[in-house]
Amino acid sequence: MLEHVYLIPLIPLFASLVILLGFKEDPHSPAPYLGLAAMGWCLLQAVSIFWGVAGGRIVLPYEASINWFPLATEVAGKAFSYQMPIGVLIDGPAAVMLVVVTLVSFLVQLYSLGYMHGDSRFRRYYAFLSFFTASMLGLVVSNNLLVTFMCWELVGVSSYLLIGFWFEKPGPAYASKKAFMTTKLGDCGLYLALLFIFTKVGSFQIDQVREFATRGYFGMGAATAIGFGLLCGCAGKSAQWPLFIWLPDAMEGPTPVSALIHAATMVAAGIYLIAKTYFIFLAAPIAMEAVAWIGLITAFLAASMALVSYDIKRVLAFSTVSQLGFMMCALGAGGYTAGLFHLTTHAFFKGLLFLGAGSVIHAVHTNDMRSMGGLSKKMPITFLTMLAATLAISGVWPFAGYFSKDMILESVYHHSPVMFYLLTAAALMTAFYMFRLISMTFLGPDRDHEKHHHAHESPLVMTVPLMVLGLLSVVAGAALAHDGFVERLLSFPMPQTPGPEFPRALGLGVSALVLCSLALSWFLYGRGDFSIAEAVKKRFSAVFNVLEGRYYFDQLFLGLVAVADGAAKLAFWIDARVIDQTFVDGWGLLMRVFSELSALFDGLFIDRTVDGFGGLSSDLGTGLRALVADGQVQEYLLYAAIAVSLATIFILSR
Amino acid sequence: MNMLSLVTFIPLAGALLVLALPKERVKAIQATALASAGASLALSIALIPLFNRGSADMQFVERLSWIPSMDIHYVLGVDGLSFPLLLLTTFISFIALIGSLGIKERVKEYFFWFLVLEVGMLGVFEALDLVLFYVFWELCLVPMYFLIGIWGGPRKEFAAIKFFLYTLAGSVFMLLAILAVYFNTAPHTFDMIALMKAHSAWSLKFQILVFLGFYLAFAIKIPAFPFHTWLPLAHVEAPTAVSVILAAVLLKMGLYGLLRVCYEMLPLGFHWFLPFLIAIAVINIVYGALCAMAQTDMKKMVAYSSVNHMGYCLLGVAGVSAIGFSGAVLQMINHGIITGSLFLLVGVIYDRAHTRDISAFGGLAARVPIYAGLMFLACFASLGLPGLAGFVSEFMCFLGGFAQWKIYTAISVLGVLATAAFFLRMMEKVFLGPLNNKWAGLSDMSARELCSIVPLTVLTIAFGVWPKLALAFINTTAVQMAGLFK
Amino acid sequence: MNLGSYVALSAALFLIGVFGALTRRNIIGILMAIELMFNAANINLAAFNRYLHPGGIIGQTLALFIISIAAAEVVVGLSLVLAIYRNTDTVYVEDYNLLKG
Repeated sequence: MLEHVYLIPLIPLFASLVILLGFKEDPHSPAPYLGLAAMGWCLLQAVSIFWGVAGGRIVLPYEASINWFPLATEVAGKAFSYQMPIGVLIDGPAAVMLVVVTLVSFLVQLYSLGYMHGDSRFRRYYAFLSFFTASMLGLVVSNNLLVTFMCWELVGVSSYLLIGFWFEKPGPAYASKKAFMTTKLGDCGLYLALLFIFTKVGSFQIDQVREFATRGYFGMGAATAIGFGLLCGCAGKSAQWPLFIWLPDAMEGPTPVSALIHAATMVAAGIYLIAKTYFIFLAAPIAMEAVAWIGLITAFLAASMALVSYDIKRVLAFSTVSQLGFMMCALGAGGYTAGLFHLTTHAFFKGLLFLGAGSVIHAVHTNDMRSMGGLSKKMPITFLTMLAATLAISGVWPFAGYFSKDMILESVYHHSPVMFYLLTAAALMTAFYMFRLISMTFLGPDRDHEKHHHAHESPLVMTVPLMVLGLLSVVAGAALAHDGFVERLLSFPMPQTPGPEFPRALGLGVSALVLCSLALSWFLYGRGDFSIAEAVKKRFSAVFNVLEGRYYFDQLFLGLVAVADGAAKLAFWIDARVIDQTFVDGWGLLMRVFSELSALFDGLFIDRTVDGFGGLSSDLGTGLRALVADGQVQEYLLYAAIAVSLATIFILSR
Repeated sequence: MNMLSLVTFIPLAGALLVLALPKERVKAIQATALASAGASLALSIALIPLFNRGSADMQFVERLSWIPSMDIHYVLGVDGLSFPLLLLTTFISFIALIGSLGIKERVKEYFFWFLVLEVGMLGVFEALDLVLFYVFWELCLVPMYFLIGIWGGPRKEFAAIKFFLYTLAGSVFMLLAILAVYFNTAPHTFDMIALMKAHSAWSLKFQILVFLGFYLAFAIKIPAFPFHTWLPLAHVEAPTAVSVILAAVLLKMGLYGLLRVCYEMLPLGFHWFLPFLIAIAVINIVYGALCAMAQTDMKKMVAYSSVNHMGYCLLGVAGVSAIGFSGAVLQMINHGIITGSLFLLVGVIYDRAHTRDISAFGGLAARVPIYAGLMFLACFASLGLPGLAGFVSEFMCFLGGFAQWKIYTAISVLGVLATAAFFLRMMEKVFLGPLNNKWAGLSDMSARELCSIVPLTVLTIAFGVWPKLALAFINTTAVQMAGLFK
Repeated sequence: MNLGSYVALSAALFLIGVFGALTRRNIIGILMAIELMFNAANINLAAFNRYLHPGGIIGQTLALFIISIAAAEVVVGLSLVLAIYRNTDTVYVEDYNLLKG
């Protein structure tokens, strides 16, 4: 069945084009079912591949490619024609990601049937969704770094289209641009990394590059440069510090899109790419360390920002950033399996959280958690599934997040205990802000009677995805971790590094602390009485301001934008005033002045001289005429005679 | 078979025919112009299967004696460098002619000059004799002067005269360089193929001098910093179709000359100039993008984006490798297609709104979805979105540049970022956000406009998905060129 | 008698003619002086023919031609003089200044 795996990205792409070009815009258009069907097919394929892998019937990795276009090149003095093979490479992570991406996309598309029902651009929405998924799937299966990058950019542009889907509002329009530009900033590094790779080895095929890298062909310096370039790209896409600023704004898009971005497609791409190019980082310990620290900083900062936000989607967005930081940190600390494992489980519960949040927003028509509360009775399914997801993300046994987070902490501890403690702090914050979200939304008394009164459970088409993801949030971790399956599936051969072993007791301690954190959160927010929380907030208002200001990174980037704008203005000023008006037009002006001067000189001297010669000969003629030509024939004759005589004398005297 | 002559001179025949028609017969004039440009296009397409992609030699060569006493010949021929450009020229000319059907005043003269212009452009890419090359080169100048000066915008006279004088100033140095080359070969010759083999006898000093002469002419046409300032002005004032031609074809003449003459005939001079060339490329890229960022006029923005994109070509050329050369040629083609459609699209909105001010619009995507879709596509192609034409060629140029000049190329990547920035800002301000009620009555694209733009869009996607379509013609020649002076 | 004496005679005659043409005030006199120059030429022709090509007649023939041409010329010249005289009432050439520039 693997020989047709290339269809997995192509079918949604095709579906997207058909929807876009073949259907009319109509709120009741049948187009969504086409998208859904395509995605369902992909899901079946992905699951069957995964099943085959799990059962040992399919041997990985699988690779197949065709030649795309010839590239005449030269590496290390040897000229050859690189045929640019593009194709698929299915290994363990790809098999897992295929399932994750297709599953979440399918559920999101199903959910959107209800959520986006009646939107005036229903058809376009599904076309974009399919395109989004198609590009992500292409990124997952591609065996060629250039194609990976292309899909990477397409993911970016589809997120641009989807975040700005309600483009009539200035918010989404701005947010989509911000997302695109921020990720593009990171992509510059990725672009350079690709250039560097190709210049070094003359190939984009991942297995070939990996071969070269493991043979130490890159050298420390080049590998480090490439590693940092890749890290730049991944930090942009996966919203890592300091490029995380776009993700909290990206929730301006429709909520199902947020679910897709945060769970399966966009932000997962960065983590996945780091995993895909892990061999580079193994060859560049400094870059690897940078990955770990960037992840750690992100996890910590984002978690702290989530503590104070009142916007339900924004809390979730910060939470995503923070969780991505966990994964990044794990990858950087050598926990390849842990990072990808968490990526998988996180996809389930984060997708669920966003879809649940969407369900809540659908019911109460606001994002502000302060006007919610007590919804648990009105929306039991949403409440229960979201609670499961919260426990999962907090890392409570036996939910999915427990296993992956435990694995992350273990590998980070192995790498550096200091990082472990910082990361644990972030994990505790996670538990706190997530339960704060649950408390403020579902528990306690209703704070806005009007909204509460109209709230109702979402239709089945929206709750079924919640239930599916809820189930997975509960069991996926245990199932995958069972019997070391995940280690076999998601592993990367690397040398063992010495480091302290993770004491089991510490793991239990972390679990206990997480429970304490949950309890504290409930104590502060779950009882319908925020007075203590408010008192704390007042006491530490300086800290809260910084957190609510998101550490002012947005301002930093706005400053950068202003600098760029200033540079643009300056450049144009130079262009228009200095180069064009001064030099070019000035040259023209100079030439005109010179030509005026020339004309003056011409008139005063040259022409005068010429005229003078004319006048002179004219005067001379007049004078001579008066002298000789008096009309006397005999005089003329005399002249003739003299002339003849002279001529005769001349001739004779020769 | 004199295929190339036919391709070149059919538009001339059309021009003469247009001249013979009475000026009231607008339909007949338009039909004649379209038919002759179409015939030229069809013929050039018919050459595609005949073109030998595996050979780097000149093909379809025609040779007639022209002025025997000075050994001047009428020699035409194309190779993998010029053939794609020839196709681009016939194609864009036809498209631009469709785009010109909206011209209302002095129709006869317009189409006459337009067809003459096409002859000149085709000739430049085909000529293999320096005198012939120069004649065709200058032939492009005069029609352009009238096209801008008569049918242009408010400052058309100034723009036209500036364009004319600026380019002419460059041409003068080219003429000097041509003569210098002529008198320094034994036997004296203008034959470009012979001259490509003659350079070994020339000293470095001589080559540098001659190189600078040629370079000045080409740099003005490209336009390379700091000789680019005529471009925004000319673009803004020129009518839409002329802007299309200007950006899509005329700029390519400069780069073509740089490769054909400066690189192939004057290798020592070229290599001496390389460090400057790469610096100019980077300046073109970053500075062009920054200038574009500061624009409020859409057309001027696109014009500056051309400066930026020509910088990519220069970067590829400065790489002096097969990958860079083929990237540069492909980028020329792609830029022609993409920027052509961008100018046409800007023209569409200008025809309706009579303004091109970015901040005068807002929320148009809801009102004119087809237009918005095509514009988004063109903008994304221009900023190098994968899957669309610009990406692969841009990437190849960068690959070519990076192998030689790591730091410079790293700086140029910033230009990519700035390009994205100004296109996104334009799209946000024009198409997104709340609809500006002033434009509530705006109509979407007409059939004629679609006819001129959709072919370009299709090619944009086709070359993006399957670059081999174009690269197949270029590669052999690029490899041969890169191997010339190893 | 030898050729020299004929040539000397003819030269003398010619110079007398030139002197007359340059110095006579009367236009009739000038005409007569011109006739003298013609005849000097005729003498030369006849003499050269006689001494250098004794059998030939070309010189004599040419002399006869000149005599008849001179006759015709006198006719034209006298009629011109007559016409001028009628206009100016004088035969003195210093009064004829129509050629004055």
